[in-house]
Amino acid sequence: MGLIKYWQEALAVARRILLELCRRQRSLFLWVMFPVFVLLLNGYILADQPQATVKEAFEAAAPMTLVGAALFFSCLGGTVATVVSEREQQTLKRLFLTPLSGLSYFFGIFLAHSCIGIGQTLLVYTSAAFLQARFNGSLWLGGLIVLLSIIAYVGLGFTLGTQIARRIEDVNALVAAFGVPLLMLGGAFVPLSFLPTPLREIAKYNPVYHMNEALTRVSAAGDGIEAIAPNLYFLTGFALLMVISSGFAYRQMLTLERRL
Amino acid sequence: MLRIEKLSKGYGDRAVLQDLSLAIAPGEIYGLLGPNGAGKTTTINIICNLLKADRGLVEIDGQPISSATQKLIGIAPQENLLYRSLTCRENLNFFARIYGLSRSTRLKQVSYCLEAVNLSDRANSPVETLSGGMQRRLSMAIALVHQPRLVILDEPTTGLDIEARYEIWELIRQLRHQGITVLLTTHLLEEAERLCQRIGILKGGKLLAEGTLTELQQHVPATEVALVKTPEEERAIDRALTHGFTPRRYGSDLAFWLPRAMELAEILECFRGIPLDSVCRQPVRLEHIYMEVTQFGAAP
Repeated sequence: MGLIKYWQEALAVARRILLELCRRQRSLFLWVMFPVFVLLLNGYILADQPQATVKEAFEAAAPMTLVGAALFFSCLGGTVATVVSEREQQTLKRLFLTPLSGLSYFFGIFLAHSCIGIGQTLLVYTSAAFLQARFNGSLWLGGLIVLLSIIAYVGLGFTLGTQIARRIEDVNALVAAFGVPLLMLGGAFVPLSFLPTPLREIAKYNPVYHMNEALTRVSAAGDGIEAIAPNLYFLTGFALLMVISSGFAYRQMLTLERRL
Repeated sequence: MLRIEKLSKGYGDRAVLQDLSLAIAPGEIYGLLGPNGAGKTTTINIICNLLKADRGLVEIDGQPISSATQKLIGIAPQENLLYRSLTCRENLNFFARIYGLSRSTRLKQVSYCLEAVNLSDRANSPVETLSGGMQRRLSMAIALVHQPRLVILDEPTTGLDIEARYEIWELIRQLRHQGITVLLTTHLLEEAERLCQRIGILKGGKLLAEGTLTELQQHVPATEVALVKTPEEERAIDRALTHGFTPRRYGSDLAFWLPRAMELAEILECFRGIPLDSVCRQPVRLEHIYMEVTQFGAAP
C-alpha cells in the first residue's frame, strides 16, 4: 500500500512536469533540435580526422552527444529549472500542504526526466543511424549507463535547485559556471584524446568523463561490462551520492519553504 | 471538528501564540480575525502540520494533527499557487492524484468541483488565461477536490473585485450547506459578518473575544454609534460625555457610542450650539466591535 502511494504520487508529479513541457511547444522543439545539432557538429568534426569514416565518427559522436550534452542540459538543467520554478511560483508551498512525500517528489522528477532522457537517447541514436552509425555493444548495458547518468544528473540538479539556485535566472549562471567546464573536461564537445595529459588526469574525477567513456566503449567499441567496470563503479557511486545528497537538500529546503 | 487547546508558539523570545484555545463544530463557518502579526497564519501552519507548536493540542475530527490529518484538510492559501500553463482540469487532476483518489472518484470529483466553482465551461482553459476571480475559485476547487472535512480559506477575497468577491461568498455559503467546516481568515470584516456563524478576534497570539455576532456585541456598551463631523471636535466630545456618550476615534473619524436607541433629532439636540458638518447614525457593526476589542481589550 505504501509503495503504491509513492508510485501514484511520483507518477502524478512526472505527468505534470511532462504536461507542462508539452505546453511549452517552443521549448520542446528546442529540446529536440539541440542534441541533433550537437550530434551533427560532433560527427562532422570527428569525421574530418585522418582515417576516420563517417560511420565511425558518428558512432563516437552519439554517446558523447547524448550523455555529455543532451542529458546534461535536459536532466540536470531541467531538474534545476523545475525545482526553481516551483519555488519561484510558490507551487511548492501548495505541494507541502498535501501528503506528497519528498521521496515521491524526487522520484517524480526523475521519472519525468527519464522520459525526456529516453526520448533524447532514441533521437540521438536514430539520427546517428541515418548516418550509418550502429550501437555495437549490449543495449542493456547502454541502457544502464544512460539510466545511471540520468539519476546522477537529476540528483545533482535537485541538490543545486534546492540549495543554490533561488531564481530562474540563477539556472543559466549555474549551468554556465558548473556545467560548461564539466562538459569540456568530460569530452562532450571535444574528444578526450584532444586534451593535454594533465587535463585528462583531472577528467578522471569528472562524472561526465565516466558516463562518456563507459557509453562510448559500449556503444562504439562494443565492449562488455568488464571493460567498463571502473567507469561503472564511479558512476554508480556518484549517482548514489547524488540521491543521498538530494535527500538532505530536500530536508533542508523543507525547513525554509514549508510555511505559508 | 477542530479543537485547539492552550496552543503556544514562540520564535526566540517572541511569543506568537499564547495559550490559544478554540473549537469549531462540524459544518460551522468560523472567522478568525486579527491584525497582521496576530498569529493567524501561525495557527494555520500548525493546523496544517507545517509547523510544530511549542505546547498545546490540536485535534481534527478527534485525531491529533499528523501527516495523516493532512488529508482531512483542504486549504486555499492567500495566493492562488497554481500551475499556470496547465488547464483547470489538469490542475485538479494533479492534486486529486497526489491525494490518491481512485480514477473513478477523481473523475467524479474533478467534474463536481469544476461545477461547484462554476468553472465547467473553462475546464480546458490554461490557468494563465483566467481572471483573478476565476483563479481564486480554482484554488478553492483544489482545496475541495479530495473531499476534506475542514476547509481553511486564508483571505479568500483579498485583491478581488466586488463581483468576484460575491461569487466567492456564494461559494463559501454553498460549502456550509454541504456540511463542510470552514475556518476563514480575513481582513474584510464585512466578509466575516456576512459568512461566519462565530468569530474569534486574535491579537498578540491571544484570543481576545469569541462568539456569534450577537455575543460579540456585548463587548461594546451600545447598540448604535453616531459618526460626527465637526470643526469643533473637543467641544463635541465634552458635550457628548455629559450625555453619557462614549467617544471613539476610527482613524480621523469621530464616533460616539450611544447609551440607548436614539432618534437623529435627539442626537442633534445633544450637540445644539456646536457647528456640525454631518451626523450619521448606524447600528454597531463588527468593525466597531473589532476596533473596541483590539484597541481596548475584551469586556470581562
